[in-house]
Amino acid sequence: MDALLQALVNGLLSGSLIAVPAVGFTALFAILRYPSFAVAGYVSVGAFAGWWVNTRFGLGAAPALVMAFIAGGLSGLACEMGALRRLMPSGALTVSIASIAVNLVLENILRFVFGNDLRGFDLPILPDLQWGGVFIGVQQLWNLALAVAVVAAVFGFLMFTRFGRAMRAVADNPDLARLKGIDPRRIAAIAVVLGAGLAGAGGVLLGLDTSIDPMTGYRVLLSVFAAAVLGGLGSVPGAVVGALVLGLAEELALLAVPATYRTAVGFAAILLILTFRPRGLLGEKAV
Amino acid sequence: MSAPLPLVAEGLVAGYGAAEQILKGASLCVRPGEIVTIIGPNGAGKSTFLKAVAGLVRLSGGRITVAGQDVTARDATGRARAGLAFVPQEANVFGRLTVAENLSVSGFLDPAATARRVEEQYARYPMLAVKRRALARTLSGGQRQILAMAMGLMSAPSLILLDEPTAGLSPRAADELFEAVIALNRDGLPVLMVEQHAVEALEISHRGYVLVSGRNSAEGPGPALARDPEIRRLFLGG
Repeated sequence: MDALLQALVNGLLSGSLIAVPAVGFTALFAILRYPSFAVAGYVSVGAFAGWWVNTRFGLGAAPALVMAFIAGGLSGLACEMGALRRLMPSGALTVSIASIAVNLVLENILRFVFGNDLRGFDLPILPDLQWGGVFIGVQQLWNLALAVAVVAAVFGFLMFTRFGRAMRAVADNPDLARLKGIDPRRIAAIAVVLGAGLAGAGGVLLGLDTSIDPMTGYRVLLSVFAAAVLGGLGSVPGAVVGALVLGLAEELALLAVPATYRTAVGFAAILLILTFRPRGLLGEKAV
Repeated sequence: MSAPLPLVAEGLVAGYGAAEQILKGASLCVRPGEIVTIIGPNGAGKSTFLKAVAGLVRLSGGRITVAGQDVTARDATGRARAGLAFVPQEANVFGRLTVAENLSVSGFLDPAATARRVEEQYARYPMLAVKRRALARTLSGGQRQILAMAMGLMSAPSLILLDEPTAGLSPRAADELFEAVIALNRDGLPVLMVEQHAVEALEISHRGYVLVSGRNSAEGPGPALARDPEIRRLFLGG
């Protein structure tokens, strides 16, 4: 019973960390209409940016998140506008493959500047809370709270602001949006900053959870992709639900199979969902 | 000289890509307070004409003025700013947004006036107020067309362009839509539309234009065109 509860708690906590970059990934897809694997790079860039202000200036988790959002967003803007966008006429598949290359470039820039070592955030070590036989890390609870705050802020932006609504309009029907005087290129730039920024913020949350290195983003790429597909590509609530379902599934699967199969759960989830519900849990019929 | 005409389109030449031009020098004007309908056989370029006026199809010839202002060089957004509202035939609402969001996002160019104009649309079309929280894709065909028209009005246009507004509607919904167009026009808004229900559309139009193969073929008062035996035989199925 405790093992099950512990798995549920762990799944919720790890799922919430994936939710942030997954929302970023799905927001990018909703506007740009191609899956950008460069998000892995933005996650790592954000992780290092947050780590840098934390260890260099002794700032806490919240400023580190803000810095990560800015760094991730700007790196996304540079990569998208500088390179990926030019490939758009060749089709979504081409841009998507190029985004894998962008990820490699970002990863190696980080490696060149910061080296390949594992690095940890400089935060006080907090003891785990114990509740019955279930252990919960205080830092993990903080991470959950931060993830909820970030996702809530994104929802607020999309639902209640003029540009948030415009972004959803472009995602729904770009031609009609243009008729209403909404410039899709401007909205795309905002979406890139938002999506890549969220990926960057997710990098800090992952770093706070464990440690970071230039491959931090690449390691979670499959989970992020699986969460977004699971929830329905392009659906922001879907990405959150998908991440939580995936986190829970991974942890629950560990009760039955050895830890080495953890990654397989992501693949199995994609396989299952694409077989039985191709549009994802909360996805729209026509993409 | 009296007030400038809401729309003057002269000698429009346009097409899609490298293929033959669809519009080969078609012209028309809309006078203040008019409903003007374009009819013609399939492929005559009726919808292309409307899209060319709205800035959605690139012109390779011709000149367009809106309220005396030359907008030929402007893109769709520039023409929307100049006072044109184009309501497309299909995909004319944001399906995954609510009715209220569809209206407010359509006021994107003028955020200060958006809230007031949304209330104006609710007053004009109470159905939209009732459905304000419904997703646009859950509306019936007739409701959707009304929403699309109300979205066009969100920019406070000086001329509204309707591309086959009754396409796919039941006869009753089509009648209601024509009623809505008349009511809108009675408040002073000029309307330029393309319609497949040509007789009904001409009956409510001040003037009509017949377009054939991308060129003007005939023009005249709407009801007169609707009764013209030659035009009935050619385009109106009897």
